[in-house]
Amino acid sequence: MDRNEENRIINDIASQKEYREGFVTEVDQEYLPKGLNEDIIRRISQLKDEPEWLLEFRLGAFRRWEKMEQPQWGHLDMPPIDYQDIIYYAAPKKNADRPKEIDPKLAETFEKLGIPVKERDVLAGVVAVDAVFDSVSVATTFRKTLAEKGIIFCSFSEAVREHGDLVRKYLASVVPVGDNYFAALNSAVFSDGSFCYIPKGVKCPMELSSYFRINAAGTGQFERTLIVADEGSQVSYMEGCTAPMRDENQLHAAVVEIVVEKDADVKYSTVQNWYPGDSNGKGGILNLVTKRGICKGSGAHLSWTQVETGSAITWKYPSTILKGDYSSSEFYSVAVTNNFQQADTGTKMIHIGRGTRSRIISKGISAGHSQNSYRGLVQILPGAEGARNHSQCDSLLIGKDCGAHTFPDIRSANPSAVVEHEATTSKISEDELFYCNQRGIAPEDAVGLIVNGYAKEVLSRLPMEFAVEAQKLLQVSLEGSVG
Amino acid sequence: MKDQGHYIASPAAPGDYVVGAGEKLDLFYFVHPGEDRDIRVRVHLTGPGASVSLAGVYLSGGSEKVSIHTEIYHEAQGCTSDQLFNGIASGSAAVSFYGRIVVAPGADRTEAYQVNHNIVLSDKAKVDTRPQLEIYADDVKCSHGATVGSLNADEEFYMRSRGIPQKEAKVLQMISFVAPVLERIADPGERERTAAEVEEAIRKML
Repeated sequence: MDRNEENRIINDIASQKEYREGFVTEVDQEYLPKGLNEDIIRRISQLKDEPEWLLEFRLGAFRRWEKMEQPQWGHLDMPPIDYQDIIYYAAPKKNADRPKEIDPKLAETFEKLGIPVKERDVLAGVVAVDAVFDSVSVATTFRKTLAEKGIIFCSFSEAVREHGDLVRKYLASVVPVGDNYFAALNSAVFSDGSFCYIPKGVKCPMELSSYFRINAAGTGQFERTLIVADEGSQVSYMEGCTAPMRDENQLHAAVVEIVVEKDADVKYSTVQNWYPGDSNGKGGILNLVTKRGICKGSGAHLSWTQVETGSAITWKYPSTILKGDYSSSEFYSVAVTNNFQQADTGTKMIHIGRGTRSRIISKGISAGHSQNSYRGLVQILPGAEGARNHSQCDSLLIGKDCGAHTFPDIRSANPSAVVEHEATTSKISEDELFYCNQRGIAPEDAVGLIVNGYAKEVLSRLPMEFAVEAQKLLQVSLEGSVG
Repeated sequence: MKDQGHYIASPAAPGDYVVGAGEKLDLFYFVHPGEDRDIRVRVHLTGPGASVSLAGVYLSGGSEKVSIHTEIYHEAQGCTSDQLFNGIASGSAAVSFYGRIVVAPGADRTEAYQVNHNIVLSDKAKVDTRPQLEIYADDVKCSHGATVGSLNADEEFYMRSRGIPQKEAKVLQMISFVAPVLERIADPGERERTAAEVEEAIRKML
């Protein structure tokens, strides 16, 4: 017996003990004990009443994860994460535990974002979502309309119960369990998320948003989203919460998988605004997310739009595998970092099919002491006859202590492919600011104005209601960065 | 070997240059067909107003392995760097370009430019390019660009419709593709000699 094997068995025995203790206290508590081991995963699966195959999936992922090491290649100064010091499953809060009133600072931000009063309460966790009449009715009317078209849009747990075969078919088909460290972790412990299936030839009549979904507010840090667009279908999906969430937990490792079949069209928009930490760089969410889509059939189209303003550390690369001939993909991104925030974000476009096309527009804005990096890969495989890519990455610097970095990687193995990348870095010019000031626009408003103009190309891709909030969000995020 | 270095600073170690205040470093590289090359240059711009220009042409039509690795560190104010590398890969050549520009905190009024254009002519040739910008100062003008593509069919058609044979048309396209790099050579005699060599090499590639 080799040493590793021995250690594993010892660990197993050790963790069993922990489980027994955990089991005893579990009845009284709303959450599982801290730490991560196979028994915790079994408990999560049991609490969620999952089928055997999903438990096996989780355990398989966990065993893979144990053998992996946390990657270090990001241009990030990452604090060490103690994976045994995290609670991996917490039941939704009971009404008695909720705060009685909104934190005044949070209220101030809501005010600036123009979020309706009723929604503010929900977002701050003062009331349970299901207590808000409007949301319930909105959600149910949505459901009815969607069901008529055969569209499935529900929580991940619900999908596992009611559409097990579909979930099983597509789960981990785009992001394999062992894809990377955080994807493996997510596969082992994911709490909930969204599942969306658009049947053949159906055009989704409305923008789907996890914001409106009842269970979305209670989902934890390890959500799993799976979107499947069958042949010729069309959907626009909006993710994320558009208001700041104060979150006690530090780690957020989600996985998003998107399958786009022949001639289908998926538009995925995110406005990410998790808690970025305070102005001294203390606290904040570590946002380590794996997002990937595959254009499976010919003529498939996937478009990513993201506005990243939150999180202490953002590390994510929404990617597309262009497998189908003549499929296409776009990536539009605005990433704003202020104070001590760090972002290492970008995209990967893997061209496999003939005549595949991709476009990348990335706008980075750094202020304060923040570090903002674009990292992208454009890969043309030998079979990608006539593939085409254009990438444009701009960085805007506000203040002398921040950094902006660009790390593109272009690999071409087909003579007929054309790949172009360009990047620029500059700062807001004194002249622009002076012009605005002279006309009575205060320095902060002027910066907001200039930044919005700079990011307009991306913001204009967002669905209407997101775009308005995103613009305000840019302004809020950059507060205090000038003068 | 046809590298010509017109530099004031001398390399501290092979391929490792330190350029001080007001000094200028000018390097040109020509990678011939059939030649495996591993070019590594590191330049530290340590004094105000230092400047560096790196330029290179690579023509690889067999099974060559060409690797170009440049690192430029802007460590003082008002320095400029300018890089231009154009090359053609054919046969089963593998070309990789890695260019890193680092602008240190406080290195204001920096201007840093970097361009890498590639043409791939055959199915088996491979090109990887990784231009990297790391900027820690705000008063800067920096840009980089990289392309990988093929010869333009419209241009070829234009020439052929005017009686230029196909092969000659391709030669002209390839020469014009690398011509901007040759213009970086300051000495006219040197420039002409190199241009003649480049033309000869291109004709042999087809």
